Amino acid sequence: MATHSASHPIVHLSNVDKDYQLGAVTVTALRQVSLEIAPGEFTVIAGPSGSGKTTLLNLIGCVDVATRGQVMVAGQDTGKLSEGDLTRLRLNALGFIFQSFNLVGVLDAFQNVEFPLLLQKKLNAPQRRERVMDLLKRVGIDEHAHHRPGELSGGQRQRVAIARALVTLPRIVLADEPTANLDSVTGNQILDLMQELNREGTTFLFSTHDPKVVTRAGRVVRLVDGRIVAEETPEQYKNSQA
Amino acid sequence: MFTLLQIAARNLARNRKRTLLLGGAIAIVTVLLVLLTALFNGTQASMLRNATTLSTGHVNVAGFYKITSGTAAPVVTEYAKLRDVVQSQVPELQSMVVRGRGFGKLVSDVSSQMAVVSGIDIEQEGNFKNILEIVHGDVSKLSEPHSILIFEQTAERLELKIGDNVTLSSQTFRGAANSIDCKVVAIAKPLGMFSSFFSYVPMTTLRELYGFDPTTAGGIQLYLKDWEQAELVAARLRLGLVKAGYRVMDHTEKPYWQKFDIVKREDWTGQKIDVTTWMDEDPFMRWTLVGFRAIIVIVFMVLLAIIIIGVMNTLWMAIRERTREVGALRAIGMQRHTVLAMFVTEGALLALISSTSGAILGVLAAYGLNAAHLKMIKGFQMVLMSETVTLLVNVPTVLLSLLVIAGVTTLGSILPAWRAARLQPVEAMHSSN
Repeated sequence: MATHSASHPIVHLSNVDKDYQLGAVTVTALRQVSLEIAPGEFTVIAGPSGSGKTTLLNLIGCVDVATRGQVMVAGQDTGKLSEGDLTRLRLNALGFIFQSFNLVGVLDAFQNVEFPLLLQKKLNAPQRRERVMDLLKRVGIDEHAHHRPGELSGGQRQRVAIARALVTLPRIVLADEPTANLDSVTGNQILDLMQELNREGTTFLFSTHDPKVVTRAGRVVRLVDGRIVAEETPEQYKNSQA
Repeated sequence: MFTLLQIAARNLARNRKRTLLLGGAIAIVTVLLVLLTALFNGTQASMLRNATTLSTGHVNVAGFYKITSGTAAPVVTEYAKLRDVVQSQVPELQSMVVRGRGFGKLVSDVSSQMAVVSGIDIEQEGNFKNILEIVHGDVSKLSEPHSILIFEQTAERLELKIGDNVTLSSQTFRGAANSIDCKVVAIAKPLGMFSSFFSYVPMTTLRELYGFDPTTAGGIQLYLKDWEQAELVAARLRLGLVKAGYRVMDHTEKPYWQKFDIVKREDWTGQKIDVTTWMDEDPFMRWTLVGFRAIIVIVFMVLLAIIIIGVMNTLWMAIRERTREVGALRAIGMQRHTVLAMFVTEGALLALISSTSGAILGVLAAYGLNAAHLKMIKGFQMVLMSETVTLLVNVPTVLLSLLVIAGVTTLGSILPAWRAARLQPVEAMHSSN
């Protein structure tokens, strides 16, 4: 995996288009998107449903490839990587937090968080245990380490998902509407936690269409009909919405 | 790997109903396979034991003697010398008996029938007395000259009972007709379909019928420590006897009584040795076993196909239910081959647990059925040469059944697992959305 100094962007998109083929019709989900995410940022991609937020996160998350343009993640041009290399890039450089948590239902919280480390095969069992327990403690779920997702509340599950996203020490954590399935109190707690982790150095990029969530961001990338129409502060965003 | 195993085990446990249904089906197939193979082994052992006592050894060293090219006598001259040669060349030998071979007509006051006539020395016979179930008379009286043992069907057809005389008529190998009267001393219960064509007289009586001297015999029946070595020993013996100076007939998969016409047509005179196995001498048993085996294979294939379809369907369902999970795992960095391994492990675990349970149940059922001494229906008794259902549990066969079912079932899980591994993370996650 390539390493970069703090000043280099973790994510660099240049004139990216993404088309989907729906039968005979070509639907363009992203048009001429250029974007940079620097280390330590807490960036929100905001926009209404269907604006292309998830598509943009998918491209940055290397689970999809651009139709045109260049997507650089952690110094690598994702368009030139093989399926296996993209998977390795996701494992080693990226962390994912999903709207529906997407934990493995038959594994407990500890095992869910440990799973990416097992895929990495870099740490031995005691090292993995220490890392996982530290993280579970950090997200306030250590007492539920041996509970399965079905035995946890939505907020607790999302905490486990955050710990899983962080456990490989990724360059950036991508979160697709991380609070959408949570009540407002739990959602705020999760955002508090993400902000706290961001202050400690983790880079976050997440999507939302909830204006209240946008106010927590350091930078807002506003997306409308697949185009970036503005890169602004939360206040500017708030004013534009008003 | 342990985590994949854990995921597989827990997913199987989570979908208890589905797992029990499919696992139960795999277990039942294994039980059936274990029982069928045990029945086959039992039948084979029972048929082999009976047939090799009545009409053949595991390997037979016999032959034909031709005075002129148009004749054929199923005899071996100087059999004692041949016996010594054979004994020295077959270290696998457990025991052997010398028998006389003949073919003639049994004539009673009311009817007649053609019969294979074997000459035996009842005092030297081992299993013969134990295998035959004598319903009338006394088998040890076969030591008396001009005595005969027949089976019930023959006794009924010729209306014979103990003490009656029956005329044994045959053509000597010099072309003259000869006959002798024999007293029925024993009537045995039928032992398979061909027993109605068999009868036994003392060796001396058979020699008298054909005008042979005491140095001749029909053949030597060899019993090996391991009957499965029969083909190997026979092949080796053919070469060994040639080296020892004997003329040996080409191998033909036919019993000796079907070779008369062939041998008569051949242009040679003197002695030729014929080395055969039990399969050559008892084609009916061979066909029965081949047929039985074919039935097992067909039944097994059908059951296996059903199981494979079941496994594939179950995994399709599991994959459909867990598409979101697959997408998420692929997104967090799980390689395709690991996804494949995850689902194959699930199929393999289910197959292994179910087939092991099935094998254990099958073995227990086999012992249970043996203990119950179930009677076979008449038709099967004749074909399978046994009155009761005999199942012979053979550990390597059980292990093979288990492994074949587990292996093939696991193979059945590869296609759906491969499809799961081919899922694009973004599509899999979209399906969750």
